Amino acid sequence: MSVLEVKDLQVELMATDDVIRAVDGVSFHIDRGETVTIIGESGSGKSTTAMALLRLLPDDLAVISGEARIAGQDVTGDRKVINQLRGRVVALIPQDPMTALNPIRTVGRQMTEAVRIKYPKLSKAEAKRRALSLMEQVHIRNPAKQFDAYPHQLSGGMLQRVLIAMAVSTDADLIVADEPTSALDVTVQAGILDLLLELQEQTGIALLLITHDLGVARLMSDRIHVMKSGVFVESGPVTDVVDHPQHPYTQKLLGAIPELGPWEDPALTEPSTYAASDAPEAGAPAPQPGSPNGGGTKGPDTTFVKEASHG
Amino acid sequence: MLTYVLKRIGQTILTAFLAVATVFVLLRMAPGDPAANYAPPNPSSAQLEAIRQQFGLDQPIPVQFWTFLQHLFQGDVGTSFFFKRPALAVVLERLPYTITLAVAAIVLTSIVAIPLGVWMARRNNTSRELGANIGTIAGQSMPDFWIGFVLLILFAVNLKWFAPSGFDSAASIILPTVTIAILQIALISRLVRREMVVNLASPYLTVARSRGVSERALTWRYAFANAALPVVTALGTRFAAMLNGVVIVEVVFNWPGVGELVVNALKQRDFPLIQATVLVTVLLALFVQLLVDLLYPLMDPRVRLGEASA
Repeated sequence: MSVLEVKDLQVELMATDDVIRAVDGVSFHIDRGETVTIIGESGSGKSTTAMALLRLLPDDLAVISGEARIAGQDVTGDRKVINQLRGRVVALIPQDPMTALNPIRTVGRQMTEAVRIKYPKLSKAEAKRRALSLMEQVHIRNPAKQFDAYPHQLSGGMLQRVLIAMAVSTDADLIVADEPTSALDVTVQAGILDLLLELQEQTGIALLLITHDLGVARLMSDRIHVMKSGVFVESGPVTDVVDHPQHPYTQKLLGAIPELGPWEDPALTEPSTYAASDAPEAGAPAPQPGSPNGGGTKGPDTTFVKEASHG
Repeated sequence: MLTYVLKRIGQTILTAFLAVATVFVLLRMAPGDPAANYAPPNPSSAQLEAIRQQFGLDQPIPVQFWTFLQHLFQGDVGTSFFFKRPALAVVLERLPYTITLAVAAIVLTSIVAIPLGVWMARRNNTSRELGANIGTIAGQSMPDFWIGFVLLILFAVNLKWFAPSGFDSAASIILPTVTIAILQIALISRLVRREMVVNLASPYLTVARSRGVSERALTWRYAFANAALPVVTALGTRFAAMLNGVVIVEVVFNWPGVGELVVNALKQRDFPLIQATVLVTVLLALFVQLLVDLLYPLMDPRVRLGEASA
């Protein structure tokens, strides 16, 4: 049995005088130990899909239909079902760690609370011990000190590690990671992704990853669903989708990744052209705007990168 | 922390001094001769002059003020023209009634307005919430003397549940308390609602919900704990304002508090009594404000740790 089984999921968002079908009949599944990624630009419905599965959309704003089974239980109907699963069978790693914790409670207090939702029989001291060992597991240095810190005292990367520890603390079957690195510095992103891979290897947890970043998707996923306007336009194993994209939208997504190529500064390769005239001639390749190393990138569709990164 | 408290106490003393000085000067610049109130009917100018001399009102204002200050530093706030007793003692006799009324009103406000505001925030945009919302707007718009008279007519005159005025029994406090609280409940519940709507929609709440935190804990331990800071500030400010005399309500209900006292003192041009009232109520209000400010760091770690992390 799959950890997550989604069949023909639809989400309709109620706007003031309009109904928007944000998710228009998507079907997919995730098995134990698997990472499945939904990739798409902002507004494609990928985050709405994730939030709908966790039933975090308000009832008066979103109407959900279809079927979505987490550990065999359909969460699209009565909210009681998801209430029993949240924090126990399914956990969320949010997009922006800086705003994801209660600002007036210590990190430790929120961690022990999370631990005790799954394991109510644990005493506060036992829950604290578990929280501290989890903080070590996510490579937080000096856990005892960070345990008593307030969210505003920690960096974004550190907070995301705390939130990952909280998700892991539940021994959930499924973790939904909604753009887990989008709000973080590039230098911190790799560390967080490494951590997720490491934890998945240790626990065999199923991971639903939402991202707009094909680099992230390629690194993390077993299978990819490319989403556009509420539907999956292309699905398949990561290697197939990345190496042999069939749909033009996927090709466009792939084209949007700036890739460092060999240094092709025309001044070096064709010294005579530049030596002959002081100013670059009309025909000479000019440095492309938006790429830091001039002509050194291969075919980037820079406008698309900008749109996509506002995820 | 100690320096902060000392600084605040210094500010409090300065504010109280400025308030009393302003009142002192304004009273003497205002039209009306106190002596006329305390002279026999149809007094001669000699009789009036004698009374002015007795009260020290024949001196120039700066001299009067200097004498007032000298006495103040000896703990003497002056003698009431009307009561012929130390003004401070008269004020302190009335103060417990005003404090009792203010405490009762703020307690009633808190226990009604906070749950009401939270309820409105949780039922945001439903028809019942709209009804409650209109009710609070109405409560906010009704003048307190009018509410007071309506309650008096309804419950004291027609239904005869309460004595119409004065302080006869513990039940006497109910009508004035309700009168004050209606406006405060309307204001505070709308503040609670506004703060709660913001916090209930914030990302940390959604993430906590995804962790399986119960709705009750989300409402109170998460959203309300964060919304509480401006609410406590507002309650403190309202309470401090009430201590300055809930004048109109005290007059309507003939409540023997400071507000009622100060209205009569003004009518009688009882300068020392007015000055004593202002001094006491201003100090009290500033003290309450100080207590509220000292609560901040206890309620919000970002305030408490502000210096350390900055």
